[in-house]
Amino acid sequence: MLAETTFEAANPDVDVRWLDMGSQDALDRIRSERANPQADVWFGGPSTLFRRAAADSLLDAYRPSWAAAVPARAHGPDDLYFAAFETPVVIAFNSDVVSRETAPSDWDEVLEPRWTNQVIIRDPLASGTMRTIFGMVIERGLAATGDTAWGFDWLRRLDGQTREYVFNPALLHQKLLRQEGSVTLWDLPDILVEQDKGSPFDFVLPSSGTPVIEDAIAIVRGARHPEVARRFVEWVGSPEAQLLAAREAFRLPARGDLPLDSLPDWAREVKAGLVVEDMDWELLSEQGAGWMTYWDRNVRSR
Amino acid sequence: MSDAFLEVSHLTKRFGDHVAVGDLSLSVPRGAVLALLGPSGSGKTTTLRLLAGFERPDTGTIAVEGRDVTALPPVQRRFGMVFQHYALFPHLTVGENVAFGLAGQGTRADRDARVTEMLSLVDLDGFGGRQVGELSGGQQQRIAVARALAPEPRVLLLDEPLSNLDPSLRERTRLEMRAALDRVGITTVFVTHEQEEAFALGDSVAVLNHGRLEQVGTPPELYEHPRTLFVATFVGRASVLGGVVTGDGRVRIDAGVEWPVDASQELAAGDRASLVVRPEAVRFAEAGLAGIVTERRYTGARALFTVSVSGGRVEIEAPAHAVSVGDPVHLDVERALAFPEVKE
Amino acid sequence: MTRRPRGSLLVLLLVWLFVYPVLLVVLDSVRGPDGWTLEYVAAFLREPREWEALWGSLWISVASVALAGVIGVPLAIVFERLDFPGRRVLGALVALPAVLPPLVGVIAFLFLYGESGFVARVLSELLGLDEAPWRLRGAGAILLVHAYSMYVYFYLFTRAGLAKVDASMIEAAHSLGSGTWRTFRRVTLPLLRPQLAAAALLTFMTALGSFSAPYIFGGGFRVMTTQIVASKLNGDIRMAVVEASALALVALMGLFLLRRQAEARSVVAVGKGTPPAARVLAQPIARWGATGLGWAFGILLLLPHATLVVVSLVPLGTWTTQLVPPAYTLANYGTLLTEPERLRPLVNSLWMATVATVGAIAVALWAGRLVVQRRATLRGLIETLVSVPWAIPGTVLAIALATAFSMRAPWVARWVLVGTVVILPLAYLVRNIPIAAGSILAGLRQLDPSLDEAASSLGAGRWRTLRAVTLPLLRPALLAGGALAFATALGDFVTSIVLYTYETRPISIEILSSLRAFDIGTAAAYGVVLMLISAGVMLVGTRR
Repeated sequence: MLAETTFEAANPDVDVRWLDMGSQDALDRIRSERANPQADVWFGGPSTLFRRAAADSLLDAYRPSWAAAVPARAHGPDDLYFAAFETPVVIAFNSDVVSRETAPSDWDEVLEPRWTNQVIIRDPLASGTMRTIFGMVIERGLAATGDTAWGFDWLRRLDGQTREYVFNPALLHQKLLRQEGSVTLWDLPDILVEQDKGSPFDFVLPSSGTPVIEDAIAIVRGARHPEVARRFVEWVGSPEAQLLAAREAFRLPARGDLPLDSLPDWAREVKAGLVVEDMDWELLSEQGAGWMTYWDRNVRSR
Repeated sequence: MSDAFLEVSHLTKRFGDHVAVGDLSLSVPRGAVLALLGPSGSGKTTTLRLLAGFERPDTGTIAVEGRDVTALPPVQRRFGMVFQHYALFPHLTVGENVAFGLAGQGTRADRDARVTEMLSLVDLDGFGGRQVGELSGGQQQRIAVARALAPEPRVLLLDEPLSNLDPSLRERTRLEMRAALDRVGITTVFVTHEQEEAFALGDSVAVLNHGRLEQVGTPPELYEHPRTLFVATFVGRASVLGGVVTGDGRVRIDAGVEWPVDASQELAAGDRASLVVRPEAVRFAEAGLAGIVTERRYTGARALFTVSVSGGRVEIEAPAHAVSVGDPVHLDVERALAFPEVKE
Repeated sequence: MTRRPRGSLLVLLLVWLFVYPVLLVVLDSVRGPDGWTLEYVAAFLREPREWEALWGSLWISVASVALAGVIGVPLAIVFERLDFPGRRVLGALVALPAVLPPLVGVIAFLFLYGESGFVARVLSELLGLDEAPWRLRGAGAILLVHAYSMYVYFYLFTRAGLAKVDASMIEAAHSLGSGTWRTFRRVTLPLLRPQLAAAALLTFMTALGSFSAPYIFGGGFRVMTTQIVASKLNGDIRMAVVEASALALVALMGLFLLRRQAEARSVVAVGKGTPPAARVLAQPIARWGATGLGWAFGILLLLPHATLVVVSLVPLGTWTTQLVPPAYTLANYGTLLTEPERLRPLVNSLWMATVATVGAIAVALWAGRLVVQRRATLRGLIETLVSVPWAIPGTVLAIALATAFSMRAPWVARWVLVGTVVILPLAYLVRNIPIAAGSILAGLRQLDPSLDEAASSLGAGRWRTLRAVTLPLLRPALLAGGALAFATALGDFVTSIVLYTYETRPISIEILSSLRAFDIGTAAAYGVVLMLISAGVMLVGTRR
């Protein structure tokens, strides 16, 4: 891991032990380890999950010095967490089959008949990204009609387009690569990383706006190395770490005070084309689980 | 023999290079009991399995009432078999075991009647509902016989039928079995390695050695007129001494004495011969073969003495107190058998 | 006599290890913040999707037993009773699905039979299809994987059983005029009943607890294991707990029914126990037909393993729409061996599997000696207890351990073990107990009890008797049980995913991690290593 080696190089007294897992798994684990926390820092994952962890008193407050440099939406309540990076959700596709010109340019276009049976997406029960998209759809419906029915109707149409809900990201990656389907909904950094590795993947930023997931960092309550944990949080938000992540790991820095020309090309491009969906994250955090249960029981057909 | 019910001709079975049964011919009259006697490895069990059809002979034929059954599989051969360890089906009751071979024969009532009849034959009336595991060894043996007889086989085969029983049970079971066989009147072939069993149960006895038939005959024929050294020594007690044929029915044994013999085969003067002496055909004498008494086995009024002589040992049956261990004695013979010496 | 306390001590230990944690979970499903409640159970019962999942789990398991039996039993008969060229090699190959690690094994299936997999592509090419001829998804796909991996139980158990059926039983039936089919039905099958019931039990439990196959292939097809994980991920711990209890209940019922089958009229074979000699197929057509079919089948069985090896040799992201990979590399193995961080999981898995196996064998020996020696009342209880972990699906056991040992309350025998290095080996140990106990109990039962008495009459103490007499005689049973237990622990995925920590992260979790980084090649390389170790261990364990 890039963060691990770089941070360890700068802090030779610290051995960063990196447990990589899905963000849902991470929350689940921190919850089950409540009595005997193994992790000091929880880094990465949508702020909605951090919000739930905060509500369950699983996090310790810490306000890093870079708190002021990130936008207000990146602040967790009571300084319990802060977002260090922003992860836009994109419509991604296999560029051997679909070009940027022919790809769906917005969410509604994914529902067009030409993509029937071409959409492969992660199983939303296991994917924070998918939950965010589903949440956005429901919230749009709520805003327009005051009811969740519109949103679920939209998701039912998406369900009709979907070839498969894939439980595991690696399998989705393979299925897209091997052209079992051609279009997916995914987060930007993963697509950029894969593109960089040579995979035939490309993306479009949805024109009507897309959720930008606040990729947060927090200190786990009862951390056994709180001092080192704070140092790590400080470091993650520092300009050098932010730019390093942007250049090497295709992460979009949350800090707004970095000079544009210091950012890599892709980041400037994204910043220019990105329409941020104004989401009610609190509502999603409160209602999301219920919506997902409803979807699982009443909408899902496969 | 034209009156043979079961006729075996030139039967041969090889396992790889090993000849298990070599050119074996036998015939058994209807209703007779034939014992196959031999040490382990003599091919007697293989012969039985060839008869049952579990093994296919390489050459030779098996015929029943003049009809060749060599190619018939065991299922169609209608030979009943009693296994050494009985092979009763442990998951079935005694009655179900006996009825096993009756499948598809007659009505249910017919079959039940037959089972009752068979159980009664072996003196186990009312045992039909028992579990096999509840039976004693002797009862299991009888059930195995009943099971084999139930479907009215043409020939009954028994593999060491008494070997798994306590010695105390054997005598009685043997008598009961012989009585049952006589009552049914079935042609029977059984295998044993015990001469006593073969003589008590068999109308005739076939002695096998290394897959070959050594001799077949009634028990007295085998005991009194063995045709080979093997039969002479395997059937009944016997001591063997080496010697040279001197002519006109006499052999000079290596210890220096000359004894008269019944030469069974063509032995010319000067040939080396093996002398077989039965314990009851030797007696202590004033002069003769010198030796020392080394052992006395007491059997009641009489005892079996072992006398160590030059070139071997001789067993003698005599009154229990005739001599004592350690006594120097002389032996004289009433009757000895001579065979060409076999070089090991 | 000091024996009674020892038996009770073992019972206590076993109860504490898994009965108590599972009970806590069950209690949690009827206990809310304000005391006893049936609210959660009612919520579960009201939900048709939960019934669907429960039904799915049940029928998939029953169907898996049927399929595995239909494949495994005839195969065992062919290999045990017929002789043809290549019989020995093929006979060993046939057991290979047992060493395909759960998670990567399923992925190998995907690469092989998935809609963009090798077989589908070949067929599309040959038949000129635009679409893949099938989709590897839903119940059919799960059953395919189950049948493939679980027929081995039937195969191995049936072969072992056939080897013990005295030839004279079969011959007796034949000489009584009973044909081949009737003999098989009326004699051989009933004699095999204990083995068949044991295989059915193992298959049923494995299928019921199966997670990887439904997780990867299930799609919308619901079974309880994935349902539990989904509920847990969704943060609905209560529902997860009720679901886990429901699954445990179904499993316990299965255990009860099938064990009664296995024990009903326990059959004492009378006889020398000499199996019939294999029939040599003499006719050239039959001979070569059997050999050809045997090899074809062997290759079919080996395909997933071969696929895994191929995938492990493919450079990242290069095998897309081609029939076979366009390029090969050893880089994936290089990564695995040169980076100490990536070697750690291998070391972790090895030591944890070793500890768990040794521990399970110790418990099994302890239990075995009590069961064999004693006439006492605890005997039946101990025998039942050591087989109970069969009936606890891995997911349920993991959740139970995580629940029971997440708080410090020594007065109710609860300590914090979650997050420590202890918990994962402990979970492996529990799962290994029935494996080790099955083999060791069977071995001990075959030992003449007078051997023990002979040793003690010669002045050997309890330990010396164990060391110098019992253990050497038990060697085959110990090796067989130990090897199976070790391989199971080494490949474990379902319990690991819930209980691992940084210090104890095992191979399966590293595989998952590699998968998350889309690094299928490295995941497959781990899988191949896992497979080789398992195969090696099993080879040692089954050598006579």
